[in-house]
Amino acid sequence: MTLLESIPEKLGSTEPWIEKGGVHWLTLGAMNVRELATAMNGLHARFITITAYQLPKEEGFRLEYHWDLDGQLMGFPFVLTGKSIESIFDLCEGVDWIEREIHEEYSLEFTGREYEPLLLRQGDETGVNLRDGVASSSTAAPSQEKK
Amino acid sequence: MSYKIPMGPYHPALEEPYKLDMICEGETVIDAKLHIGFNFRGIEHLAETRNHIQVIALMERVCGICSNIHTLTLCNAMEGLTGLTPPPRAQYIRVIMAELERLHSHVLWAGIAAKLMGFKTMFMTCFELREKVMDILQAISGNRVNYSMNRIGGVNRDITDPGSILKMVEALEAEMARTVIPIFTTSRTATSRCAGIGVLTTEKTISLGVVGPVARASGVPQDLRKAAPYAAYAEMDFDVPVQPAGDVRARLLVRALEIMESCKILRQALAKLPPGEIHTEGEKFAFITGTATARVEAPRGEVMYSVSWKEGSRNPARVHVRTPTFAVMPAIRWMVKGARLADTPLIQASIDPCYSCTDR
Repeated sequence: MTLLESIPEKLGSTEPWIEKGGVHWLTLGAMNVRELATAMNGLHARFITITAYQLPKEEGFRLEYHWDLDGQLMGFPFVLTGKSIESIFDLCEGVDWIEREIHEEYSLEFTGREYEPLLLRQGDETGVNLRDGVASSSTAAPSQEKK
Repeated sequence: MSYKIPMGPYHPALEEPYKLDMICEGETVIDAKLHIGFNFRGIEHLAETRNHIQVIALMERVCGICSNIHTLTLCNAMEGLTGLTPPPRAQYIRVIMAELERLHSHVLWAGIAAKLMGFKTMFMTCFELREKVMDILQAISGNRVNYSMNRIGGVNRDITDPGSILKMVEALEAEMARTVIPIFTTSRTATSRCAGIGVLTTEKTISLGVVGPVARASGVPQDLRKAAPYAAYAEMDFDVPVQPAGDVRARLLVRALEIMESCKILRQALAKLPPGEIHTEGEKFAFITGTATARVEAPRGEVMYSVSWKEGSRNPARVHVRTPTFAVMPAIRWMVKGARLADTPLIQASIDPCYSCTDR
């Protein structure tokens, strides 16, 4: 059994990997994103990015978290019915900019972290990539010094 | 007493907008904060308004230097959604274009690095060589920057006379071996300006998810051409240069050695260019509903495209681009910590940043 094949069991998933569109997909059961990030750290997988999708109508959003393990691209989808998900910034430094970008593009909140503006300038409205026009629920957070 | 020195957004060294606020004590940088977004054009959102032909032309303009890599990655992803496989000749031509673009990017970077070192003669030499690389790209594609080579299922232009291109590549390789490589690897000027500065440790490289030559210069041997080969890379014999030191000199050495490896790949690809079609002929294709992802090793590191399509739609539902500089640039904060202020332009340039790519 390869390391990749052993991962579903380690993550407590009863589902196998599904290889589709260049990615090994795994749907996680009860595991949340922070537990996933901790498990990926344990495997020494390299974080790549999060891809956000706005689902049709009022179905919410899908976030796809991607890690690389020895050249194998892994994908873990999370469907958000609300507009927030826990941040993994404290577990995975590489996630900082993409969480900030998704916050600005889709007005999603990554809870448990502070924001600084990334692509948008201070005071600009977030949600610039939302299909229903610019959301005005929040604005880019003011710049804050971070240790 | 500490004080803040803002560098940018009109950067003195790198002619793209970006800002680095440095907290200094005396001449030493204690901490730094990066500001990007000055080039934010909303290209991902714009891509959702373009059809499958227009979106290729649009994404070619994400970056001026590695324009071909963006269309290559996008086409790889869209081929995953259409089920089209480019013919072998097209796969070889894609390798040739990708390696010429790597040469172009690395030689351009070497010139800028030489200028920042105060080594102006080397800057002129590198830019003369860069012109020769662009001459080859123009001979193949008709263009010097945006080559319009990639399409879904293959490439748009053939290499009809690989022998003449091979001669140009060999002449370029000889000149690189005579000038750029020995000077960058052995000269006291390059060593004294680059050794021991802007260090990024292996541990920090891994935790930040840094990619490309910067990661390889910090002892992380990752290269998608080897780890997850695409196009015709599985048929090429080449090495992945890795240096452990993690400083600016290591980045210089990695790129210098990669120039020679690119020449090696180009010689093989041109010599073995298989006969046949350059794109898949036949029935009209249709996009399969769903998402496909592709990754390619760009000159600056891993590029990843995720493309989503709905059945019957003319336009993609989503195009997400993760560029290499987006992954590498946060590391600058750690590279400049403890550095002398005078070294910071060279340290920032040592990641070969592309702000246009990063902001999209």
